[in-house]
Amino acid sequence: MKYIKSIFPLALAIIWTYALHNSWGTLPPLGKLMSPFHGFWVNAEAPESSELTEENLQIPGLEKTVTVVYDEMGVPHVFAENDHDLYVAQGYLTAKDRLWQMEFQTHFAGGRISEIVGEKGMVSDQFQRRMGAVYGAEKSFEGMKEDPKATETLQAYSDGVNAYIESLTERNYPLEYKLLNYAPEKWTPIKSALFLKNMSFVLASGTDDLKMTNILRKYGKAVAEDLFPNYPFVESPIIPVGTPRDFKPVPIPESPTDFIGLGSAMKTPEKDPNIGSNNWAVSGNKTVSGLPMLANDPHLTLSLPSIWYQMQLVAPGVNVYGSTMPGTPNVIVGFNKNVAWGVTNVGSDILDWYQVKFKDASKAEYWHDGKWKKTTMRIEKFNIKGKESFVDTIFFTHHGPVVYLSHEKPFKSNIPVGHALRWIAHEKSQELTTFYKLNRAANYADYTQALTYYSAPAQNFIFASNQGDIALWVNGKFPLKSYTQGKYLLDGTDPKADWTGFIPQSHNPHAKNPVRGFLSSANQSSADPSYPYYMGWQYAPSERGRRINERLEAMSKITMDSLRGLQNDNFNIRARTLLPLLMAKLKSPTGGVYAQAANELKRWNLQNAADSQGATIFENWVSLLHDAIWSDEFAADENAPMNSPSVDRTIKMMQDEPNAIWWDNVKTKNKKENMEEIISASFKASIDTLVKKHGPIGSEWAWYKHKQTGVRHLIPGMDALSRLNIPTGGGGTIVNATTTKTGPSWRMIVELSKEGRPKAHGVYPGGQSGNPGSAHYVDLIDTWAKGELRSLLYLDKPEDATGRLRKKIILSIKK
Amino acid sequence: MNHSLSFSYQLAIVLVMVVIGAIAGIYLPWYALGILFGLLAYILRIPTGRAFILGLVSGFLLWAISAFWMDGQHPSSLPGRMANLFPLGGSIIGLYAVTGVLGGLTGGLWAWAGAKLRFK
Repeated sequence: MKYIKSIFPLALAIIWTYALHNSWGTLPPLGKLMSPFHGFWVNAEAPESSELTEENLQIPGLEKTVTVVYDEMGVPHVFAENDHDLYVAQGYLTAKDRLWQMEFQTHFAGGRISEIVGEKGMVSDQFQRRMGAVYGAEKSFEGMKEDPKATETLQAYSDGVNAYIESLTERNYPLEYKLLNYAPEKWTPIKSALFLKNMSFVLASGTDDLKMTNILRKYGKAVAEDLFPNYPFVESPIIPVGTPRDFKPVPIPESPTDFIGLGSAMKTPEKDPNIGSNNWAVSGNKTVSGLPMLANDPHLTLSLPSIWYQMQLVAPGVNVYGSTMPGTPNVIVGFNKNVAWGVTNVGSDILDWYQVKFKDASKAEYWHDGKWKKTTMRIEKFNIKGKESFVDTIFFTHHGPVVYLSHEKPFKSNIPVGHALRWIAHEKSQELTTFYKLNRAANYADYTQALTYYSAPAQNFIFASNQGDIALWVNGKFPLKSYTQGKYLLDGTDPKADWTGFIPQSHNPHAKNPVRGFLSSANQSSADPSYPYYMGWQYAPSERGRRINERLEAMSKITMDSLRGLQNDNFNIRARTLLPLLMAKLKSPTGGVYAQAANELKRWNLQNAADSQGATIFENWVSLLHDAIWSDEFAADENAPMNSPSVDRTIKMMQDEPNAIWWDNVKTKNKKENMEEIISASFKASIDTLVKKHGPIGSEWAWYKHKQTGVRHLIPGMDALSRLNIPTGGGGTIVNATTTKTGPSWRMIVELSKEGRPKAHGVYPGGQSGNPGSAHYVDLIDTWAKGELRSLLYLDKPEDATGRLRKKIILSIKK
Repeated sequence: MNHSLSFSYQLAIVLVMVVIGAIAGIYLPWYALGILFGLLAYILRIPTGRAFILGLVSGFLLWAISAFWMDGQHPSSLPGRMANLFPLGGSIIGLYAVTGVLGGLTGGLWAWAGAKLRFK
């Protein structure tokens, strides 16, 4: 008894220490995390002084010394004596600011989140792997390895990241490792491939083939094609109408046999309508400088740490500045002495589903082209934190992986259901080579040559050179399809439904130096219907593209500032058409708040400005109206999810089909609503929801307060590490495409110069450092929110005296 | 058992614990603080009745003051963010206090354990 008494405190101390050394659910390991010697306190960084400080670091693997200078934004300007050292330094410096993010994003991409967060990560992990993320990355890695330069680059980058990881001890791990209680693992070149593949997930994995098939099954082909047309009624395509064609089209494959398909409730990722981008280039005759200018703002999910990381990379043969993506070498969007380039996403259909007919429950064989063919299998192992690991088998037909979900009940296992995924992201590819070459491009020929290596996700590559050229290629690998092939689910037994080839790269839609003096893209239709190939039936709504083209048409004597104004343009071009139509049909509202709101709309200047109340009323009304028109017919059945027609199609119906059957709300029995009733009722309903949410009409109805833009940390729910309620205007169909969670993730404007002294401005909503304890974590957000840009420092040599340099690091060889 | 430790002796113990705890913090894992406090209590024959409170005070002072000092050396928004994460309503004083309490309890429990092993 005495003995037990004497060790009781010891047992208690051990239990206490054990408890504080480990994480429990979402509770971090408190002892480790709070210790002022080991925990988060160590991650705090004092803001740097305005004096230039110098530091020497030794890292293994370098061939020569590398000089790095940081400017006041925290952007490293890297001066190396050869490519190898340049990319070692890029890997090292990126990891220094963004290690956790790089690893977390590639863990996510590779379906390995459950290794960090346990079982709750499994749904996402299994989905990633069944969609073939790892398979695709392996294929693309094979492609990269065919280019020796890309291989060297990837290896050097990886060595640099590892040099940084090896320099760390537990106490100086990035904060998130301490919060989630794990350690960084060694970086490998294939992780860069995973990262690049993940961009296809982000930008080119949306699919509504299933929803379209469900519509086809319920309403038939005529209705489906009428309500979901293959080209918008109002459009301003990316390639200007009338651009001369410089190729002879190849024959189009024969159409597949008509197929309805079974449909299903299989969940597939939605297309996020807000993920898109703007870019444009204007030729010298429209600018004050007389040389081309180029602007780009890719719209992505706004996150912290930022998706982009600015860098200047200098070595013999290259001096490039721009935004890099942590996890992958080279600059992705940027400029050098002679050229500038930028990207927006292409909404073409590069992802199709094939209904598979398996021979039996073993899924060893499937029916195709009149015979049974063998499936292949891929084993995926999941190491789940705190659980036994889990092994999953993925079956592949020649199309790709069969992505059927676990909620398909076992009693159905005798039924050969499931769809195989044919996706461009599974192709062998060489995107890295494209960026390597773009970083070094000196003219239009270099740019077009660089683009020939690019597969996915397809991008509208805008280009400008100081020789006076502007150009835009809608670029990527596009399947050669018959008209509307893949709009609906396809028949996996029909060889005519297969992808049989690709549009020759030189036939991709493109334009150079058009008469109108500018080129632009905003994810809208790539080309008008006279383009000889079918690329897809649905692109982003045309509003942003139309507004940009209308403004660029009107603008002359263009400067940095006028283009900045266009990037921040809040004009609601949709309201210009739609609001008069709506107001004409709205029964004069009686009653205080309805009349007040209607007056507010009449007074509204059609700007989605941050403090606009009209924008709040309009946007909320349109969204409720759209639901009121379509959700009764198209969102009724959970087991057969469907699309609803576009706003473009809805406006057409408002204008030309006031008596269409779709106006009636089929849920109200014995009553047939007409257009006026639906419009007026949705107006009242939308005002009611606004009153409920924001109180009486007034400053609380300001658009930014309603929209609630936030830049959120990558760990869901980490509000303390996020920046919320940012006062910005804009919206999904506005050039300033800032929504609740998405928006311009990098704004850049470049003015080229004959002397190779380009002037550039840029900003992104975040900061260079991924460390929430750094002054550079969110220091660019306010500038971004105000619609301002920072001048980007483009150096010739590290000694250039500018007064903007804060820190110098000499990276030398570690023996 | 010596029941009447002089104040200055107790103060000296606290000072020794804080210094040893700080050195351990710099070179060893976080929990070394506890183990060393336990050893100290054992070696210095700190009475069971005082060991817990002396360990608690030492651990609290060491962690709270170190946190305060770190924050002063590297002023950043991080403590404010952490004080929202926990949630302490953003109170950084509260964050120093929680840090101190964790260090204090770790030190106190181990010192108590060390003393108890000596004075069975």
